[in-house]
Amino acid sequence: MIQYWPLMLKAAGTTLWLSWLAMLLGAFGGTALALLRQIKFAPLRWAVIGYMEFFRSIPILIVLFFVFYGVPLLLEVDISPFVAATLALALHASATMSEVVAAGIASVGRGQWEAAAAAGFSWPQTMRHIIAPQALRVILPPSVGVFITTLKESSLASIIGYIELTRTGLLVRDATGGGFVPLLALGAVYFVINYAISQVGAALERRLHVGRRSDLVGAMA
Amino acid sequence: MTEILALDGLVKRFGSRTILDGISLNVSAGEIVCFVGPSGTGKSTLLRCINGLEDIQGGCISFEGQAVQGNPGAIRAVRKRIGMIFQHFNLYPHLTALQNVMLAPVVVHKEPRAEVEARARTLFDKVRLAHRINAYPSEMSGGEQQRVAIARALCTNPHLLMFDEPTSALDPETVGDVLTVMRDLALEGRTMLVVTHEIRFAADVGTRMVFMDQGRIVEQGDPRAMVAGAQTERARKFLGTIHG
Amino acid sequence: MGYSFTLRTIYPYFGDLWQSALNTLLLSLLAIVLSIALGALVALMRRSALRPVRVLGAAYVEVMRNTPLLVILYLVYFAAPEAGLRLSSFMAALVGLTLNSAGYMAEILRAGLIAVPPGQFEAAQSQGMSGAQVLRHVVFPQVFRTIYAPLGNQVIAVILASSLATAVALDEVASWMQTVGSSSFRFFETFVVAAVVYLVLCQSVNIARILIGRKLFPQGRRA
Repeated sequence: MIQYWPLMLKAAGTTLWLSWLAMLLGAFGGTALALLRQIKFAPLRWAVIGYMEFFRSIPILIVLFFVFYGVPLLLEVDISPFVAATLALALHASATMSEVVAAGIASVGRGQWEAAAAAGFSWPQTMRHIIAPQALRVILPPSVGVFITTLKESSLASIIGYIELTRTGLLVRDATGGGFVPLLALGAVYFVINYAISQVGAALERRLHVGRRSDLVGAMA
Repeated sequence: MTEILALDGLVKRFGSRTILDGISLNVSAGEIVCFVGPSGTGKSTLLRCINGLEDIQGGCISFEGQAVQGNPGAIRAVRKRIGMIFQHFNLYPHLTALQNVMLAPVVVHKEPRAEVEARARTLFDKVRLAHRINAYPSEMSGGEQQRVAIARALCTNPHLLMFDEPTSALDPETVGDVLTVMRDLALEGRTMLVVTHEIRFAADVGTRMVFMDQGRIVEQGDPRAMVAGAQTERARKFLGTIHG
Repeated sequence: MGYSFTLRTIYPYFGDLWQSALNTLLLSLLAIVLSIALGALVALMRRSALRPVRVLGAAYVEVMRNTPLLVILYLVYFAAPEAGLRLSSFMAALVGLTLNSAGYMAEILRAGLIAVPPGQFEAAQSQGMSGAQVLRHVVFPQVFRTIYAPLGNQVIAVILASSLATAVALDEVASWMQTVGSSSFRFFETFVVAAVVYLVLCQSVNIARILIGRKLFPQGRRA
């Protein structure tokens, strides 16, 4: 089985790339949603909240199925498993991230806004120079958790045929006579990667002096 | 006078630190024994050893003739006859005041609910909190909570009451309310052990004052006499600085 | 866009949906109950006086939080025959889901236990309550209040996670969507229907939790 390690490592890289891309898109999307929620236009806020509640009440797997199988039928385009997985993961991540970012913005005290307004800053300027830097300290630690969740969810891409870590592990298992040792190895690789990332997150939390036990802990995926 | 409590050479250690270094003490029924002394000298620990919240490393404890140390069955039996009042009240936050007072008599002593409730209501009148019986601890002030705690301890008809710095966590205004209740209890002839910094209370109400320092009983005697002029240097210094 | 959304086209498949939804519900309920029990065990392990027991408990939680559920499901499904067990898809999914959820339940319960001030144990013990009485009358009610909301969220998480049972060939709602969608090419309709089923399940749990919570905890926010 040792001969397959390079393959597994390469697949781990693929998984990391997929998760990272989805996370980035999700972070951007989540930020956009959080900013939209700031606007005092009730229907818009309800729409954003509706979006969030919707994606948190359905399993990511059916979103993945819909994006991969359904969208090509709807829009008459071809979608690769990679694109489908990235989109589905990003949609899911953006729902969680919008809450994380909103909490981060809310954590910056009113006094900051008032001081900026008194000094004549416009809303975008206030956001950029005063609020965002402070909000980021609160946003970063839970974001690590969202990334780990996204990474675990990326394993679902194997179901629609994308060759990432899980699918590679299954292929190795087939090639080596169908035991369960390859599956243990597969689990171990995920564990090591995620555990390492969570340790980085914990160190980050310590350095930023933000002691928040995030109850925005993601899905069980 | 019946002897309620007998401590003989009590030793308590936390790791390498000796907290109680050979405490011997006898308490008779109806005595109000007040323990005073600098913080951290083992006064609270002494009370907690008596009802088994702390284990002891040496010596004997005997409550109403029953040996207490190390025996879980004896400890539980003894706890049913001792009422303890804590510095931080420790009321059960998920229960109303009335439910707090009624819980142990019903669950531990297996008494019928109706009887316990009647007794509890009388106790609430006694501590002047009849209007708060359905309030939750989070809705009450510190002084109110402590009076409920006293009612809770009384409801099990204890033979001994132990007060562990009952007023130390209270605002100065409410300290008086609690001390008044304790004064009433003393006048009823209850046996009380009180760890306190309220020297004036100890002098007025106590029948014996025990001055402890560094895990030992340095001096004990009539409270008024000790406050006026203690025998030992250390006691004099302590009582002088606090009472003034 | 030459696609029109017509729900009628998948009416014939609603019979299967009912069966699949029942599977989802049954699987989730059993997994929740079993994982609470297992999670309680792990939470108690983490409070043990013996260091190896504590470490074992902590390791269990870390493994379940860092390994994808899909991998755990595959492990159970494929490893069982090796150990001589013949597990049906349902059983394999149940075991995998339970093992995974127990890790999260353990953390929820542990946080609840930690939130009970030590003074509570002391007050109860000093009144002569036995260990069991202390747990039942003083500790459990307080733990329950603390964990109530996170527990509700975990129930929802299990319902959503049950969708992964598709991968071990169980007939539940997610696999219904995939199967029916493939045969009818009506993926939009099947997605909407599947989404509605999960939405109804999850939001019902949410609403029930809030309503029952109002009944159980009339005092509102504790100080």
